[in-house]
Amino acid sequence: MNKLLVSPAPHHHSPNSTKSLMRDVVVALIPAIVVSVVYYGWAELLLLAVSVVSCVGLEYLITRFFLKRPSTVGDYSAVITGLLLALNLPVTTPWWVVFIGTVVAIGVAKMTFGGIGQNIFNPAIAGRVFLLISFPTYMTDWTRPASIASAWGCGATDAVTGATSLGAVKEGLMTGASLTDISAYADFSYLDRLFVGMGGSVGELSAIALLFGFGYLLARKVIRPHITLSIWATVAVFSGILWLVDPAQFTDPLFNLLTGGMLLGSIFMATDYVTSPMSDWGCIIYGIGIGLITMVIRYFGAYPEGMSFAILIMNSVVPLINIAFHHKKYGRK
Amino acid sequence: MMSTIMWTIAIIAGLGLVLAIVLYFIAEKFKVEEDPRIDDVEKTMPGANCGGCGFAGCRAFSEAAVKAPNLDNIYCPVGGNDVMKKVAAILGHEVKAKTPMVAVLRCNGTCEVRPKTNEYGGYSSCRVMANLYTGDTGCVFGCLGCGDCVSACKFGALSLDPVTGLPVIDEEKCTACGACVSTCPKNLIELRNKGPRGMRMVVECRNQDKGPAAKKACANACIGCGICVKTCRHDAITLENNIAYIDFNKCKLCRECEAMCPAGAIHGINFPKPLDKAAVKARIAERNRKEKEAAAAAKAAEDAVAVPADALAAKPAAKPAEVPKVEVEVKMEEAPKQSK
Amino acid sequence: MLKTFSIGGVHPDDCKISKDCKIEVLPLPKTVYISMAQHLGAPATPIVKAGDHVKAGQVIAEPAGFISAFVHSSVSGTVKKIAPRQDLAGRNVMHIEIEVEGDEWMEGIDLSDTLVTEIPSDNKVILDKIKANGVVGLGGATFPTHVKLCPPPGKKADCLILNGAECEPYLTSDYRIMLERSKEIVVGAAIMKQVLGGCPAVIGIEENKPEAIKKMQQALAELQASAKGYEGISVQVLKKKYPQGGEKQLIDAVMGRQVKSMALPIDAGAVVQNVATSLAVYEAVQKNKPLVTNVLTVTGNTLPVEKQHNYLFRIGMPLSYIAEYAGGVPEDAAKIISGGPMMGKAIANLDATTVKGSSSLLYFTREMTQRNQESACIRCGKCSEACPMGLEPFLLQRYARNGMMDELEKNAVQDCIECGCCLYSCPANIPLLDIIRIAKGDVTRIIRSRAPKK
Repeated sequence: MNKLLVSPAPHHHSPNSTKSLMRDVVVALIPAIVVSVVYYGWAELLLLAVSVVSCVGLEYLITRFFLKRPSTVGDYSAVITGLLLALNLPVTTPWWVVFIGTVVAIGVAKMTFGGIGQNIFNPAIAGRVFLLISFPTYMTDWTRPASIASAWGCGATDAVTGATSLGAVKEGLMTGASLTDISAYADFSYLDRLFVGMGGSVGELSAIALLFGFGYLLARKVIRPHITLSIWATVAVFSGILWLVDPAQFTDPLFNLLTGGMLLGSIFMATDYVTSPMSDWGCIIYGIGIGLITMVIRYFGAYPEGMSFAILIMNSVVPLINIAFHHKKYGRK
Repeated sequence: MMSTIMWTIAIIAGLGLVLAIVLYFIAEKFKVEEDPRIDDVEKTMPGANCGGCGFAGCRAFSEAAVKAPNLDNIYCPVGGNDVMKKVAAILGHEVKAKTPMVAVLRCNGTCEVRPKTNEYGGYSSCRVMANLYTGDTGCVFGCLGCGDCVSACKFGALSLDPVTGLPVIDEEKCTACGACVSTCPKNLIELRNKGPRGMRMVVECRNQDKGPAAKKACANACIGCGICVKTCRHDAITLENNIAYIDFNKCKLCRECEAMCPAGAIHGINFPKPLDKAAVKARIAERNRKEKEAAAAAKAAEDAVAVPADALAAKPAAKPAEVPKVEVEVKMEEAPKQSK
Repeated sequence: MLKTFSIGGVHPDDCKISKDCKIEVLPLPKTVYISMAQHLGAPATPIVKAGDHVKAGQVIAEPAGFISAFVHSSVSGTVKKIAPRQDLAGRNVMHIEIEVEGDEWMEGIDLSDTLVTEIPSDNKVILDKIKANGVVGLGGATFPTHVKLCPPPGKKADCLILNGAECEPYLTSDYRIMLERSKEIVVGAAIMKQVLGGCPAVIGIEENKPEAIKKMQQALAELQASAKGYEGISVQVLKKKYPQGGEKQLIDAVMGRQVKSMALPIDAGAVVQNVATSLAVYEAVQKNKPLVTNVLTVTGNTLPVEKQHNYLFRIGMPLSYIAEYAGGVPEDAAKIISGGPMMGKAIANLDATTVKGSSSLLYFTREMTQRNQESACIRCGKCSEACPMGLEPFLLQRYARNGMMDELEKNAVQDCIECGCCLYSCPANIPLLDIIRIAKGDVTRIIRSRAPKK
């Protein structure tokens, strides 16, 4: 007989592994990726490819030759960082800018802290914010193909320039126009936004696609809904109150929930395991913080969108939240 | 322009002055009176904070040393006598030199001689393993080989030998702080006198099973036959629970036990020459023969008239050893049979 | 809405493959080896010597302390020797070796199947019988039952909970006795209820055993209709969630109360007994039969159904004998476990013998049970989501690896029930429980050593 295997209990393991959880996140991103690829065409494919390949490659090189450790690229976490970074950029971003973004994301935000599980900031967001500050022109160039056909290179190769809804609102308000004036030239249709919305980063196209991903993650129990829902609730309540006070100055809650990086950020970025709190109440506080900061930036800040900044700021508070909030323990108050 | 600069300098300087005064008063108020000798003592410490002295760290040791009336129970094993001399000089105490110690492994169950009976698949830690069961070999007492002692050592003195699966102690680096001793769940590591030029004798086994069972589990096991006890002429070896133990304070490093051990469980460490077993055995046999003759002669002489004074003086230890010595030879023949 | 405990829990596949295998009686081996350490607490002291002739059911060892229990011979025959022998974990434990001759039982033991529903009115008689017949808790901890049934002065049981949850995957021994010995279990419950002062009794069964629920309800209804002393007993269906059968979790699920840290269930007014213990109590009190038999499941993840069994075994049978009788250890078995896959003990030594609390012989293949390579913690929080005690294993293991005892105590490592949910759910395969278990031992020792100083 073979030698018996002996180990402490339990002798059984759930099918979950870091790899399978991360793979599920990739699967959840597929609808959003498909929509963006169909809509933006070759340029989008190139963007995704550059980002993912360079994220994975960098992680491999850094673990192998810098840290001299077994490589961790097999766990899909670098793929997710690559995908999320690409989905957070305008389709016109030049490839070398994307590459710089991945260097910051993987090299600075992730590996300098010790690799997976150690980073304080979400790598993709850190990369994106770095690019936003360093290359503002590229990062706010919302040129996009006029039609799906032109995106794929057949028919007329027109392109349309235009600001995002949030950008239009911010600019309009700065010049002293009221929201009613702005809505006359900027398209605020909710239906569009739900399916294939206006401009912005490539991943923010379709709310439905992102919500599909959210449903999948919840069904597979990859994430818990606390963070996402508390962000939405905070945004809805905060903007709701201000909107009721002055509808001419403040956009309405639904607009705020569906525009910009709100959905992508709240579903995929804020819920990142490594950089979010552990306990239920910690998650809720974290979500409220993100919601509030986002709305404050959107309403009162210089940038039209504040999701990335909000997540980064709250990331830095997570260790404190983890100290302050613990799980409810059995038999203790 | 000029006045702006002047104002700036004036304000900054004023601010600095005010803050300096505030800081001074705060520092005075919260000043902790401390014996300055604590700092002096701490400076002489090795600074490893290993806890080998029984205190939380070098600082705690220094505080205790300054407070203590003498240095009898305070000793830094890492710094050794040199450091203790310095400490004593600072504090004006006497210090007795202690013999330097070293950690010694009391298991020689290499992979080769101690076959695995099952496969351990849990967290690689001796404590976890020992908590779960008796180990992955037939020997209940032997080294588990997960290296808890290696990670406990703050001086990098221990390493696992991949071939034998046992920890190896680097005597140069070992400071005898005792961290590995308290970590080992099987109590296999002991602090022993380093011995002259590092030479010492060790029974490299802790197996308390009876001879055949111990031998079955590990070819290098001590079988508790007691030959070493009878061979030793310095009362240094005791046998308890089927296991021999050499008292390092009594051992005279004659290596006779090593030569006589039928199980090969006793080892001499750091001896300049390898042991010539045959020669030592011959020496012992020769001595035994002479003793017997002397005893017989003495007996004959006793029978004849009285005890000649010079016969007694020649072999003072012969008398009490008389009876067991005969047994030794009987046992010597028995023991190898047992191990077969 | 079915009842369940409020914090954490996991949902492993229940895999009750052997649930339709009827209980078979194992034939007697040539020799049995009866362990002296079959219960929590001090090992019993042998009172027979080599050469003695003993009958089945005869006392062969006496308790050696307050928390200890009588041990009886499970067979008739001659005592060969009393010597140390390796148990499941390879540790040497005193065993009494008895060579089997025939099957002669002590007088006064009722071996018939007739159901005795009349409960003795004197509680002292009942407790004495439970003690004299060596009944211990069969839910895993093997705590002497008579001690548990005597609440310390000033404490009162508000509820007796009978644990029929059998939340461990694969095990079916409790399920089978609930099907085949349902009435006896109910009588046992009524006896214990009476001893505890007539508090209500609840039999908690998980929803994945509908037949057992039906059978127990039927038995209960019939007994309540035909005899006295059975009012106040009910069956409570529980949601399927591991570790439902944990004492603290069951109290939370059934009574909605939580036992305070480091306190006993009785402090929350609860007494929890396993259904198998209830059966043993019935046999001890009504039939005067000592605890020398129990039911054990032989199962495995690749073992065909026809090779899976539920056996009525006598204590002291070597596991190798049972394995041999059941058709040998399967070729692909890499690990043999005594108990369930979540909390059972891996067997290092198949020559070990069955004890009162043995509940299974579980064969796992290497693919099924081998631990994967540990990787970095991704702070997903799955472990604390799963922990039924609301602890944070990721934090505890970090403190434990750094030896931070104060922090460990502050974060309640001593409350860990070692259910294995954290290690089960960790995607990074961090050996959380392995590390925490050791830390728990250390911290508990520190707390205990501190206690008298107060």
